[in-house]
Amino acid sequence: MSTEARFAAGDWYAVVGDRVTVLLPGSQRGRVAGLWDLADAGAGADALLDALLADGLSTLDHFALVAHDEDSARLLVRGAPTAVVSTSGGDDVVSAAPGTTWAERLLTGVSSVRVTLTGDAAAEHLLSPGLARVSVVEFGTPTSVAATTETSATESGSTGAEEAEPEQLSVPEPAAAAPEPDPEPHPDPEPEPVAVDPEPEPEPEPEPEPVLAAAPTEAPLHFGEPADDPTPTGETPAVSDAVSDDWSDRDGQTQIGAPVPDFDRPPIPGQEMAPEVVSRPVAALVFSTGDVVSVDRTVLVGRAPEARRFASQDQPHVVTVPSPHQEISSTHLEIRPGAGADHGSAIATDLGSTNGTVLALPGLDAEELKPGIAVSLVPGAVLDLGDGVTIQVTNP
Amino acid sequence: MRDVDLHHGASTDVGLVRKVNEDSYLVAPPVFVVADGMGGHSGGDVASRMVVEEFQRLAEAYDPRRGAELVSDALARAQARIIDYGEAHRALQPGWHAGTTAVAAVLVDDDGVTKWLLVNLGDSRIYRIVDGRLEQVSVDHSVVQELVDAGQITPEEASVHPERHVITRALGSPGGIHPDFFLLPLGSVERLLLCSDGVTGMIEDKEIEEILESVADPRDAADQLVRAAVAAGGRDNATAIVVDVVGLVKDATYDSQRQLQSLESKLGGRL
Repeated sequence: MSTEARFAAGDWYAVVGDRVTVLLPGSQRGRVAGLWDLADAGAGADALLDALLADGLSTLDHFALVAHDEDSARLLVRGAPTAVVSTSGGDDVVSAAPGTTWAERLLTGVSSVRVTLTGDAAAEHLLSPGLARVSVVEFGTPTSVAATTETSATESGSTGAEEAEPEQLSVPEPAAAAPEPDPEPHPDPEPEPVAVDPEPEPEPEPEPEPVLAAAPTEAPLHFGEPADDPTPTGETPAVSDAVSDDWSDRDGQTQIGAPVPDFDRPPIPGQEMAPEVVSRPVAALVFSTGDVVSVDRTVLVGRAPEARRFASQDQPHVVTVPSPHQEISSTHLEIRPGAGADHGSAIATDLGSTNGTVLALPGLDAEELKPGIAVSLVPGAVLDLGDGVTIQVTNP
Repeated sequence: MRDVDLHHGASTDVGLVRKVNEDSYLVAPPVFVVADGMGGHSGGDVASRMVVEEFQRLAEAYDPRRGAELVSDALARAQARIIDYGEAHRALQPGWHAGTTAVAAVLVDDDGVTKWLLVNLGDSRIYRIVDGRLEQVSVDHSVVQELVDAGQITPEEASVHPERHVITRALGSPGGIHPDFFLLPLGSVERLLLCSDGVTGMIEDKEIEEILESVADPRDAADQLVRAAVAAGGRDNATAIVVDVVGLVKDATYDSQRQLQSLESKLGGRL
């Protein structure tokens, strides 16, 4: 989909960024100004959505958000707007069913998106980044029959170009390879490149992998290597074995190596990793002991709590509570800002305490926390750790 | 911060195989550091000494209320020096590298409460005695530890794994340092041990526990740990620091008597 966009005049606002467009009714003038600041600064769809929803959904009955890329589009529609998305597979109408929060689609192979706000006028004016008053907005090539053929023509054109690419790659390759040392056919006659490029590399490998040997110094020659090019896009794969090579311990045995791939601190199963520190506290904890602690990072509560494996900038709040009868474990309970679906609220996890933690949510029966299972906290919730120590959750 | 009386002992040995002791340590209460250098002579030993020097600077102007920050700064300064040192050497000798592990223990003031702040980079270790049992506090930054954590190998397999000497974080690493911090209440640590892998690679945790449990004087305990590691083969430099918070050891009177006796016997031995 081309990023070209057009509109028909109307009374809705279009906040048009480079890749993201937000459409709001005329009554949402207040939100528009803030959104434009963000869009103008190059904010992405998620940042704009954050700002859009910052004041809550209840005052936002209608909006549409279109994040458009070369051939994919992400669409969010709430309330009145309807969108018609044309893909190679046909047209798709996106609108929010009455009573739902919004409708969202992530579509690929999109040739055009037409968002109708009011009326059904033809989108004739060119829409460029900025603010506009609109009734219809259309991205990409119009969905008329003529245009569709036009699109497929361009598409096949581009496919042709892609097909041509390997040829383009292989064409410069032999030419470029010629000045290379090229040990196989002419080991001797061309000593200059070797002299020009005295590789200090100790690797004795002669022929089988001339690619790897040449890569660090002659990177551009690497792509298009016929047999073993793993990156058909022509990108040079990163050759970063240098670190482990250089780090052998010359005296002893210890050496530094790369971490095992795809390994991070193991999260609690079934739970997303939380952001270690959030900019704004998500809740405040009022302890029966009189302490008030805000949840802008992990809070550890216990008789003698221990904090383990944190980075210096994410030092948890450690709250020690008295437990004359030893009912509270040394590190009893963790409360931290939630991630994912719990973003914006505090979540509590009993850390396998001996006597458990009881959570009373407003209007619900008190229940015991299951060790290791995080529970979302709402303002008004009360946690009971035993020995008369309770924690009340309030707004920050 | 309430004054805490610490008794401590430290010992190091080059071992039976290496020519250079690349381990360095610092005992400057309430700051304790063990660093295990890598990179051979004038590489590893210099790198580990740089860590100790930076913690020495920290100890000279130590503010326990800013413990975590000061420790981070000391590590960052050591990292910068080791990287500079490595770059200067690499100009003459390509591929040359120096690096070091570090474990440190400092007392900090956390909202008026004295606690242990522990930090770890690499495969040197921090243990504590709690409720009469030995417990490893630090988690190695090593390939085998990651494999154990991922459930791919057992701790027993780790001790004989071919990659058991490959560490994933260290000072001097071009990828930057990411130290792990630990904050423990003073009372949860009856005795603290900081040691290089020359100790833990040679003797079992069980033997470490026996020594720490049976030898009352921390200086004797540190000596015995290192001696046991050398006796077990001494394949690597071995260093140990043992710290007791006086008054929190199980039997303070007994211990102080032993401490006095040990001191007298040592002074007597020197005279």
